[in-house]
Amino acid sequence: MYAEWLFIVFSVLSVLGAIGLVLFRHPMSGAMSLIVTMISLAGLYALLSAKLIFVLQLIVYAGAIMSLILFIIMFLNIQTSDLPEEKGRFYYLLGGTILIIPIASFLIKVVKSLPGSQTTIVGNGFGGVKEVGLVLFQDWLLPFEIVSILLLVSLVGAVVLAGKRRLSK
Amino acid sequence: MIQNYLILSVILFCIGILGVISRRNVFTVFMSIELMLNAANLAFITFSRLHESMDGHVLALLVMAVAAAEAALALAVVILLHKHKGNLDTNVFSLLKG
Repeated sequence: MYAEWLFIVFSVLSVLGAIGLVLFRHPMSGAMSLIVTMISLAGLYALLSAKLIFVLQLIVYAGAIMSLILFIIMFLNIQTSDLPEEKGRFYYLLGGTILIIPIASFLIKVVKSLPGSQTTIVGNGFGGVKEVGLVLFQDWLLPFEIVSILLLVSLVGAVVLAGKRRLSK
Repeated sequence: MIQNYLILSVILFCIGILGVISRRNVFTVFMSIELMLNAANLAFITFSRLHESMDGHVLALLVMAVAAAEAALALAVVILLHKHKGNLDTNVFSLLKG
């Protein structure tokens, strides 16, 4: 019962944050409401007894990635006059909603046909660091290595791209 | 019930698509993509809980790493575009249009 209430609170918060991201005009307000979404999603992961992902969502997503985005937004020093006009965004929003609703209702219908189970907390260290680490380094070793190479390549690419001006002088 | 988590994931994904469709600010479009990645993560974790296997957790971890790489690269590109055009409108960045 208590978990049900927590789920309702977190899901309402995350949907509100997502709607705020789409509707706020300034990207700084949008980033702040996206952080609300991320933190409430971390709470949902905890309800699904994914302990490691809960911690990583807080540290990596709400911490590192969002602070990087906020840092770049502040670095570019965006004033309200710099923002694009976006006159027709409500029309686009309306048209997009009309397009999306059939797809979303189909997906929700598919989801509702799945076998349900209660969301009680699983014991036996389900989702803990040790168990996820064992799965990661036994069954998913090759994807893990590929992702590490991807991270390295993207970091080198970011340095090359952002430091281009200084090099060409 | 576990279906509610999946329904929430569908709703968040659709809001992310709406953000990409309707906004022209580069940062908002980028953060909407992040929101879609998060919705996919929620679906992974929920299915992982449904089947009580931890492969979904590992996949969510990999998605987080991909999101970090994407953030680093995309923000570098945004800085470069802002230097060249002095603007954040996605309609201005039409170099590949021909």
